[in-house]
Amino acid sequence: MKISRRDFLKGTATSLFLAGFNLPALATSSRKKNLVVIMLRGGMDGLCAVPVIGDKNFEKRRKSILIEDTIKLNSDFALHPRLIGFNKCWNENTGTIVHATSIPYKQRSHFEGQNLMESGGRVPYQEKTGWVGRAMKLANLQGDGLALSLPMPLLLRGIPKNNNYFPTWGRLPRKDTLDLLKSVYADSSEDELLQMMDFIKKRKDEQMMGGTGGGDRQKNKNLARQAAKYLRKSDGPRVAVFEVNGFDTHAAQGGVDGTHTECLVEMDEIINNLRDNLQEAYKDTIILTVTEFGRTIKQNGGNGTEHGYGTAIFMAGGLLKKSQVHTDWPGLKRKEMYEGRDLNATIDARSVYASAMSTVFDLDFKRIQKEVFWGEDLQNLSDKLFKA
Amino acid sequence: MKNFFRKVAFGLKPEEKAPSDPLTWAQKQVETIPELNWKGKHIYSEKEMRKYWITQRVEENTTLRKKFKNDPAGFKRAEKQLENDTGAKFWPNNEICIRHAEGIRSDNPVLAKLWYFWTNHFTISDTQRLPEFSTGAYHREFIRANMDKTFETMVQEATVAWPMIMHLDNKDNIGPKSESGREEWRRRKKEPATLNENHARELMELHTISPKGGYTQEDVQELAKIMTGWRPKWTKKSDQGTDIRFMSDRHEPGKKNVLGKTYKNGRKSLKIVIKDLVNHPSCREFIATKLCRYLITDHPTKEMIAPIIKAWEQSDGYLPEVHKAAIKVAFEYNDKYQKFQNPENWWLQTINMSGASYAYPIPEKKMDKFQLGILVSENLRQPDWRLENIGYHPYKAKQPNGYSDISTDWLSTELIIRRLMYAKEAFHQYKIKDQIDDTIHEKIIRANFDNPDKILKIVAKAKSNEEKHMILFNLPEVLRA
Repeated sequence: MKISRRDFLKGTATSLFLAGFNLPALATSSRKKNLVVIMLRGGMDGLCAVPVIGDKNFEKRRKSILIEDTIKLNSDFALHPRLIGFNKCWNENTGTIVHATSIPYKQRSHFEGQNLMESGGRVPYQEKTGWVGRAMKLANLQGDGLALSLPMPLLLRGIPKNNNYFPTWGRLPRKDTLDLLKSVYADSSEDELLQMMDFIKKRKDEQMMGGTGGGDRQKNKNLARQAAKYLRKSDGPRVAVFEVNGFDTHAAQGGVDGTHTECLVEMDEIINNLRDNLQEAYKDTIILTVTEFGRTIKQNGGNGTEHGYGTAIFMAGGLLKKSQVHTDWPGLKRKEMYEGRDLNATIDARSVYASAMSTVFDLDFKRIQKEVFWGEDLQNLSDKLFKA
Repeated sequence: MKNFFRKVAFGLKPEEKAPSDPLTWAQKQVETIPELNWKGKHIYSEKEMRKYWITQRVEENTTLRKKFKNDPAGFKRAEKQLENDTGAKFWPNNEICIRHAEGIRSDNPVLAKLWYFWTNHFTISDTQRLPEFSTGAYHREFIRANMDKTFETMVQEATVAWPMIMHLDNKDNIGPKSESGREEWRRRKKEPATLNENHARELMELHTISPKGGYTQEDVQELAKIMTGWRPKWTKKSDQGTDIRFMSDRHEPGKKNVLGKTYKNGRKSLKIVIKDLVNHPSCREFIATKLCRYLITDHPTKEMIAPIIKAWEQSDGYLPEVHKAAIKVAFEYNDKYQKFQNPENWWLQTINMSGASYAYPIPEKKMDKFQLGILVSENLRQPDWRLENIGYHPYKAKQPNGYSDISTDWLSTELIIRRLMYAKEAFHQYKIKDQIDDTIHEKIIRANFDNPDKILKIVAKAKSNEEKHMILFNLPEVLRA
């Protein structure tokens, strides 16, 4: 794809508008666009992260765990004050919240829910591939997936040759040792092992391991720095998947320093470090979150919350159309809530994901809908949420 | 031929002589269930372990939550101390030592390898603090102890064991029309009694007939109805930690129909329906296929599973016979198929072939020094960390379907890096005298391979003994068995 004059002007205008971004080099080939998915395990509380403003029903039910000193996003919603990284994106017009959304799962089991948030299906454990993997296959993106975890998450399955990064202690063996093993694998036609050894050798060259501090290396904020380095390479991966654990705060969820906040901050550090380290490539990236469900509106006896339904999606990156809270707000009166207790979901989260992938992978929305999500009734939100 | 000792067990130690009749050697091991090899003093029943679970849960969920309701940091500190008091960080390490001693120190490593198969088949995944207190004991008491009985017995016991009922939420499976379901408070508190299909579905899908059994969503619901009422009784003092029993007031009344057969109302139907499920043709086919996949290849053939199914039919699912048949098939296909070993089995094989089983698992006398209330030292916590880091912790599977038994799932860049790192770590389990013994690798190779010269030649290219270890234990001949 050659960039037309119109595109160029548009690009320039955007760059000027987004202070801090350098003018993009005139690309002669099609741009490499990146998708980063952050999986929030345990049920992220959308109303802790992005509380609704001035709703008495809400404030009354959450007396002890209400977040104070929030950052006002618009007349209706505020942002958790510790989400500094996302707030930067918001201020640069590259941060979006989709609120009152969820995957279509209402049973409140973590394991089923997490399985479905990765498979994109409706029946737990039925699908053996993930929605990102299937879409990558559709876009023919073999070898373009990077998981920031030890095993390969279900989300990325469905296309071969994904890489992962989750460094351990110690250092890799000498290059000679790796070469020796590589030649043995080649001689014995161990193609997959050979391919892994290529990945490992590359890692050796990049000095990706070594020294101590293995534990710190596995921290998401550091994984994010490394992932950004990979993603911004023209021949690097196009998809990265993170996991943040611990959102299941039945107790001591707390206010601004509580346990739920810690998890949100971990998510925010990923966003922040990606934003900083992707540099130029940030403008061609969509970062988005998934979780299995939201949490109850009402706090419980231990100042925590129980498993709920509707929640929020965080999105950041230069491919976002603008900073906005996109929602069809269902309200928090008893009748308006799901089963009288949870935030309802008015947007199928998969509509957001299908639209995002349509933008990043340059695939027709309808093809994704049909081949990744089995033709389910999803809304095309591309125009509303993303840049063309 | 020597490959067989790794295929059905964990290879041979450097000084060990290969048994002259490998098939008989292997088959004899599965006839009876000997006492555990582990001689440490901390071996407790599942029920005894539940006492610690109860303390942990009750203190954590009620006392501490109230006490530290506005102090998250204080809550965390108190939670850590509570974990010391209940031994939460000690028990899984102790259980892993017990488990691994069977594989590399006992006289029945073949039985151990099959034990690991069954513990994954009846996975208790990482939930509700079961890994810390209960899963290890469950594996000993309900899985291993039933390996000399019929499959039906194993399913019966594994199903109504407390950890399984908890793990698959059957405690929440309450008949809407049951006595309890109709109680007034449920309406008032908006807590209607509902079926929870989780356990019923897994009983068919994962434990017995598999989706190939052709059950419908309706069958799942009907089986769930049969399972209503099988649960612990909740009490304030014990949370859900009481024994599983059949609570008729939670049981959905009326007849149920599963896979075309009608079952009566009441307690006895669960036993009958399990009997029917394990006698369903899909069940033996499913288990036979899984056994072949574990021992032989990712893609078992009809010819492979046929003798196992036959042994099942002739013995009414008597597990020693089923196991012997599987071992025989593995023996017959020994040269033709080599199965990529999962990370745990690979680690045990690496230790065993190295001859470092004096150092791993952690010796009993060290584990015996543990005392409740005290922070568990890093040393004693290595087994737990290692299995987690290697990507195969038998108590921490993420989902009820356990760990995959397909090779590709064990091939990620990081997982292969772990094998390089842990081959090195296995070397450092050695005493110094073994580390500097330049003949050690030749001994290992001669004991374990039919083609020692070829392998010796490759390994000789490494610069140090440590590097030889890394090469040897990452050769395709060792990664596969």
